[in-house]
Amino acid sequence: MTDAASQHPGKTNALVEAYFAKRGNLVLFLSARTGSHATAEDLVQELYLKVAGLDPAIETSSPNALLYRMAINLAHDSARSQRRSEVRDTAWRNDVRVELAGEDIADEPSAERVVISRERLAQLIAAIAALPPQRQKAFKLYKLQGMTQAEAARVMGISVKAIEGHISAALKVLVTKVDP
Amino acid sequence: MSVYLVHNAETTQDQAIAWALRLQGETMSIEDGLEFDAWLEASPANPEALAQILSVLETYKAAGLDVLEGLKQSEQVAARRLAKGRWSFGAGLGVLAAATALAFVVISQGSLIAQTSNFATKNGEHRSVKLADGSTIDMNSETGMAVRLAPHERHVTMGQGEAIFDVAHDQARPFEIEAGGHIVHVLGTQFDVRNRPDGFSVIVSRGVVQVRGNGPTVILRKGERLDFAPGEASKVSTTNPADALGWRTGHLIFRDQPLSRVVADLNRQFPEQIRIDDERLAQEKISGVLVLDNQNLVLERLALMLPLKTVRSDQGVVLQSKSSPF
Repeated sequence: MTDAASQHPGKTNALVEAYFAKRGNLVLFLSARTGSHATAEDLVQELYLKVAGLDPAIETSSPNALLYRMAINLAHDSARSQRRSEVRDTAWRNDVRVELAGEDIADEPSAERVVISRERLAQLIAAIAALPPQRQKAFKLYKLQGMTQAEAARVMGISVKAIEGHISAALKVLVTKVDP
Repeated sequence: MSVYLVHNAETTQDQAIAWALRLQGETMSIEDGLEFDAWLEASPANPEALAQILSVLETYKAAGLDVLEGLKQSEQVAARRLAKGRWSFGAGLGVLAAATALAFVVISQGSLIAQTSNFATKNGEHRSVKLADGSTIDMNSETGMAVRLAPHERHVTMGQGEAIFDVAHDQARPFEIEAGGHIVHVLGTQFDVRNRPDGFSVIVSRGVVQVRGNGPTVILRKGERLDFAPGEASKVSTTNPADALGWRTGHLIFRDQPLSRVVADLNRQFPEQIRIDDERLAQEKISGVLVLDNQNLVLERLALMLPLKTVRSDQGVVLQSKSSPF
């Protein structure tokens, strides 16, 4: 820690104040950018550490612009950060297996594959199956198979703008059929 | 292109969808970020609508493989039915049949005999327990509980401690948590229950929870928290649930909390106990995020937030005001 930082506790730092004011917005921003709320929360914590570690003597005319720039950079490295956080979470949790009602109930086997309930899965599948074919295909390629919009456009032989239209229309319907 | 969509979108939901897609685009500038920020703040309905869209997107991303598999099966079922000329069975039924078959593979069936299991965590220990009904309990340090899964109910008796419950939806089997004379009654949701000497609290991050105790029954919704401090009236307030759930990923998030409370929480995470040597310092309010990786680093970060110094002694770590003469 630098002397400047210790003489200016976080409370008086304009950038830290801006961080707390914008924290919720930044989580949404990074959730959208990374596609994962948990990753976004992680990145926003990292952002706090960076913000708190900056020399408060540095003047910035627009704390918000600086925060968003830092957030964009963090999202850019998010693949790496995510790997790190998985390692930390695994180290954090004790590796215990327990039994309940005669069944082996291990700690979550992997964060990647989330087990969801039967009703929930049926709901998700039925909502997609009811979409018109083009919207269904666009959403499948983009969200379920993880293609970019440009890749999906190439596969379907239509423009990126058309893909975006299909995905928007699909989302509009899905959001009414899928419980949050 | 997305810019065009954002500017021409009519309803809040259309705007939220356009923003979700624009933010997932390949390039992103600071100007995009600031424009997004301005949109979020233009109306409280905007962040809410966006969160809903993001939740649907993330759900499909997380369940992507299962959903693809289910769709494939339902298409095969539908194709077979078509081939046999049985037009009366629509794709909808095929979807349900496939999903049910698949789910039996994903989730093994629980035994019908009720059985109680005990779980406990020590100082600094975190533990995630996956129950046979699909629910998950993430236990914070120094927490004890007994879990009973019966055919018609799911019951947890919790002693001192804190845990995040992610309860699988099951209308026929309500999930009840008994702690500190309160009963928390749920159908399917995610929330944090804390029963510590400084009070009892419930924080809901998804769904609806009912809390019964000595006083009137309270219904809590997403983003609400209930607090009972010893000798005080109960209090319901709104909160950011992500803060309260931070400990699960190794973070402690606090806003305007006295240092004494932060130190009490830290002392459950690390074996070496921290003491505050100064009553005024103990009451000092702080806000911040602490990553709980290593006690020395945590103390260093704490010193960035308050003018304090740490002194090591035989009895553990002592926090002193920086102006203290000792």
